[in-house]
Amino acid sequence: MADPASNKNGTARLADLKAKAGYVPVIRRNGFVYAFLSLLVLYAIFLLPAKGSPETLDLGRIILFCLLLLVWAILIFTDELKPEKMKTVIVFTIFIIAAWLYYRYSTARWGEMGFLFFNLEMIQKAWPTLVEGFWTTLLLAVCAAIMSTIIGLLLAIFRSFENRVLNFFIIAYVDFFRAMPIIVLMMLIYYALPFMGIRLSAIVSGILALGLNSSAYVSEIFRAGFLSVKKGQIEAANALGLNPIQTMRYVILPQAFRVVIPPLVGNYVASAKDTALASSISIIELLKAGLSQKSLLANPSPLIFVTALYLIMFVPLTRFSGYLEKRMKASQRQVRL
Amino acid sequence: MNDAETMIEVVDLHKHFKDLHVLRGISTTVKQSEVVAVMGPSGSGKSTFLRCLNRLEEPSSGHIYIEGVDILAPYIDINRVRTEIGMVFQSFNLFPHLTAIENIKLAPMSVRKLSDKEAVDRGMALLEKVDLAEKADTYPEQLSGGQQQRVAIARALAMQPQIMFFDEPTSALDPEMIGEVLDVMRNMAKEGMTMMVVSHEMGFIKEAADRILFLVDGEVVEDGTPDHIFNRTTHERTLEFLSKII
Repeated sequence: MADPASNKNGTARLADLKAKAGYVPVIRRNGFVYAFLSLLVLYAIFLLPAKGSPETLDLGRIILFCLLLLVWAILIFTDELKPEKMKTVIVFTIFIIAAWLYYRYSTARWGEMGFLFFNLEMIQKAWPTLVEGFWTTLLLAVCAAIMSTIIGLLLAIFRSFENRVLNFFIIAYVDFFRAMPIIVLMMLIYYALPFMGIRLSAIVSGILALGLNSSAYVSEIFRAGFLSVKKGQIEAANALGLNPIQTMRYVILPQAFRVVIPPLVGNYVASAKDTALASSISIIELLKAGLSQKSLLANPSPLIFVTALYLIMFVPLTRFSGYLEKRMKASQRQVRL
Repeated sequence: MNDAETMIEVVDLHKHFKDLHVLRGISTTVKQSEVVAVMGPSGSGKSTFLRCLNRLEEPSSGHIYIEGVDILAPYIDINRVRTEIGMVFQSFNLFPHLTAIENIKLAPMSVRKLSDKEAVDRGMALLEKVDLAEKADTYPEQLSGGQQQRVAIARALAMQPQIMFFDEPTSALDPEMIGEVLDVMRNMAKEGMTMMVVSHEMGFIKEAADRILFLVDGEVVEDGTPDHIFNRTTHERTLEFLSKII
């Protein structure tokens, strides 16, 4: 309102408030914060115990220093008056100090890191085995995904018939394979079943264990997808004279499919990561290949390379499934493919 | 229309939902081109009655004859019967993954085996009729409630049904959109479509309906012309209900 009296009153109140609040105390001024930061850096460089494994007493000093750093950082980050730029500077400083402390006190042989971890010559020697391992991992992941999709979809369709006896068995199946750790399942299939006369090759056992486990999750995902299709949709289709198969094909599946894609991709990624467990039943997949080459060459470079490969494969995939999920949430119409 | 053909004949229709006796012996007939409004207090079984007539709900006992065919007979292919009965729902129930025209052409193509071109031609003509031709390629979520309901009517008409059921077609609509839907329904009534309408739209019923079935607790308590029901009824339950909705 343009009432001058109330306006004046408002400004007066603001001035009053300022007077009461007073100035920002010295310790909260920006200059002071930067000065303190410099002091901390100097302290870290010159006053902390010398390089090497610190004594117990020195350890206390280091921990004290870290606590101080932490409390101080929290105080600044919760202070809305501090500029964003200052917070950025502090983040970088803390990272650098942390790295510096780690470098200073760890007993690692930093100088030999190139030779030990990033030894191209060793990776070259291990290369053929690693490539073979990679293909095995891919084979495991793809076969398990196909198997779990088929079983999962069938289970979900059978579940939607709502037959009590059928449902009991399906729920028992899902519970069993969700509760069973994959590595236990693998060992069961590969090491226990042969006593019964069921001899499966390692790779088949691995695919079976991964696929069975994953199928339990896939069936739940599809079930949720079917349930997400509203009853009115099915009624509308029926009222138009579509038979159950046409209703499934033109109305239910397309709608369920859109809902199901993001969690399904997420599940495939998780299942693909679990292929590393197959190394426990002597399948030479990527991890086992890296491990065996590490032992053979007495150099961990192959293992480091394998780690990097896992990251290169799965960071984009997890990103992708996260993106799908976000896109589905963002759009009421769900994912349009 | 003295000797008009009987389109729907219902004999002693009962429906139980577990312990609940929803329909208690309904018998009525609907002639060709007749527009029958079904009214009654909530919970009186209006919607259930309508949904029994195309077996979206399975009746517990009784007989239903659509164009003389006993649709409760065990050998009957209910999907064939349903192609003759268009249904419009309170919540529209358009398929959200399809555009307006795709919604309309789905059933003619998959059930009637029309070619894409035939189905699109027929669909566009119907969209023209409900005044939504320019929205053919729009997805349901981008349409207003009234527009969605008009597309739903066009979708039902695309099967060229003999009979149209409307289950509270305007109840989920904002007041300013009710008119556009009722206009479409009024035109259909004029063109001689046989219609059963569960609705409380007095204006529409007075103007377009030939008969009103008044249901209370799963029984037909009155069956008469709008003029009779609205102006001359002496039935206690009807009067009580009318006093509430006017």
